[in-house]
Amino acid sequence: MKNAVDVSNILLPLFYLASFAIYLYDFQRDERRLSNIKRLFLFLTLVFHTFYLIARTVAFNHPPITNVFEIFTVLAFSVSFSYFILELVTDIRGTGLFIIVISLIFQVISSIFIVDLFEVKEVLRSNLLGIHVLHALLGYAGITISAVYGFLYLMLYKDLKLNKFGLIFERLPNLEILEKLSFYSAIIGFVLLSVAIAIGVIWLPRAFPNFSYFDPKLVATFLVWLLYGIGITAKITGKLQGKKVVIFSIVGFGLAIFSTIVTNFLAKSFHTFY
Amino acid sequence: MNLLAISINHHTAPVSLREAVHLSTEETRVFIDELKEKYFSEGFIISTCNRTELYGIPKEAGTSYLELEKFLVEKKAITNLTDEHFQKFFACSALNHLFKVIAGIDSMLIGDNQILGQVKESFQLAQEKQFAGFLVNRVFDSAIRVGKRAKTETTISDGAITVSYAAVQLIEKIFSNLSKKSALVIGMGETGKIAAQHLHDKHIGKLSITNRTIEKAEQIATEIDAQILPFERFKEHLADFDIIISATSSPNLILTKEEIKTMMKKRGNTATVLMDIALPRDIDPEARNIDNVFYNDIDSLNIIVEHNMKKRKDEIPKVQNIIMEELINFFGWYNSLEVAPTIKSLRDYYEEIRLAEVEGYKNKFTKEDQEKLELVTKRIINKLLHHPTTELRKVAEQGTNSTETATKIALVRDLFGIDNNNNFKE
Repeated sequence: MKNAVDVSNILLPLFYLASFAIYLYDFQRDERRLSNIKRLFLFLTLVFHTFYLIARTVAFNHPPITNVFEIFTVLAFSVSFSYFILELVTDIRGTGLFIIVISLIFQVISSIFIVDLFEVKEVLRSNLLGIHVLHALLGYAGITISAVYGFLYLMLYKDLKLNKFGLIFERLPNLEILEKLSFYSAIIGFVLLSVAIAIGVIWLPRAFPNFSYFDPKLVATFLVWLLYGIGITAKITGKLQGKKVVIFSIVGFGLAIFSTIVTNFLAKSFHTFY
Repeated sequence: MNLLAISINHHTAPVSLREAVHLSTEETRVFIDELKEKYFSEGFIISTCNRTELYGIPKEAGTSYLELEKFLVEKKAITNLTDEHFQKFFACSALNHLFKVIAGIDSMLIGDNQILGQVKESFQLAQEKQFAGFLVNRVFDSAIRVGKRAKTETTISDGAITVSYAAVQLIEKIFSNLSKKSALVIGMGETGKIAAQHLHDKHIGKLSITNRTIEKAEQIATEIDAQILPFERFKEHLADFDIIISATSSPNLILTKEEIKTMMKKRGNTATVLMDIALPRDIDPEARNIDNVFYNDIDSLNIIVEHNMKKRKDEIPKVQNIIMEELINFFGWYNSLEVAPTIKSLRDYYEEIRLAEVEGYKNKFTKEDQEKLELVTKRIINKLLHHPTTELRKVAEQGTNSTETATKIALVRDLFGIDNNNNFKE
């Protein structure tokens, strides 16, 4: 099993690279025959990635959430998986490369630096922690995708304002659809983050004697959650629309990344496991 | 195949001559009657604003292009139309030309969306007038297949290639559902009218028009189911519209940046599209600097048109491949028409020889042996003819090389004297 994990760890970035290459080629050439092939290839990549995550869990007897580079591979999976579902539901196929490239980056970093840990803290073997982390990562995948669509919106907005009718104009869906995709991804991210926070609030006090509600990581996550909550409410009530919605999403994403870096690498927290 | 065709089109004649030679549906009916009587056993006529073309299978071998040109010139009484204004086609080239026309690659606007429908109507008229026979009906089927394949298998008709349609294409890059949007078209000249028609075709939620001459606006409003705003007061309603298209002949600006700023304030700064397709311009170009205002004028729309035109031109080789495939299919079928009677004649020829020989020597055999003789000679003939028969069928069915098929058929007919009934008796 360990060999299968090692081989898969090398092959996975290549799978993501190939998926990205097909999406990129299709974005540039817009060939009808590639429309289904690229989706199939992404599906195969996700199936392979699922196998890798299961194999890793079995081989090391714990879910792949024990170090930052294991988190990266789960995040790579979450981002592409969320995009795949979004593509299936909306049938908008021209934006995949902008999302898959994020998975590719996470997976490459993960594959290079990942550490095989057989011995981990007992708390990291908890199933509840696994569910908590999975929801948190899928939630972050949601807000990442929301931010990507936000960037695409701004790119198309700029091209339309400047009368530039290149590939961005031709291949991207219209502004209203990009706004919707960004908003719906943010809602999905927000809901999943809510579940992750709820599980955390129930489970953390029992698992950690030194638990504190004022822990920097908890406070930062709550602030990100609150910001998205305010943004989503403002959009639903009509107070935010168009460009402002996507800017809100991008700012939220920036804050999420910033708080993750600060709380993981700079601040001292009980919520740090590696 | 002796399909003959003449064409006067935008490559060969100016618009004045094309207009003069254009045939209305009624005129086409009369022309078909005369063509049937004088020149063609079957055929059809295509007449659109950019081309008039006569196609047919001549009744007599000597029918020339000049006779057809003369017929057209005399019937339409046009004095300045000469031989130089016509393109002439025969057999494969006639079919090739028809396929190019129906696929839209011979059109003035490459990939023209209307030509397939127009040619179909021409075919229907020929069928209705019983001018379409066995061969022409097969030509119709192949041509329509070419037209449909060009549309579905290539992007020859994709993208806007007129300014007013490019405006609509651009609007669709901003809004996802036009049925929930409202639009105002200012000015009901030809361009404004076409733009309003495009919006109507795209099922715009609410369409309003305004024009200095109210009578003209009223007439158009009925056609496209639009509301009319009085020209003097349309500015009071600007904030009600997501899309404003202006196409007046006003020498001065009719919408200033300040007016648009005020409008945007009233609209709560929601996205608004301003399309200025007038020359000189109607809307202050500085409006493009206002947040959430998408301003385009003729120059920027022309960029889209030129870009799309280039993309369509790049698709021509793909369409030509489709045409080549369908030409091969057609001539494969056409050649197979010759194969069946040839095989039958060849078999009849051998059977006659066999019967004559058996009859001649029959009495030298006993009654029992006569039956065996019958059987054995038939088997010999079948074995002798098996290979040539299957080869002929194969070549015809594959239809890959019509010249090869025709050569083989001609060789067989010549070698065995199939066209000369008395050969073996001699």
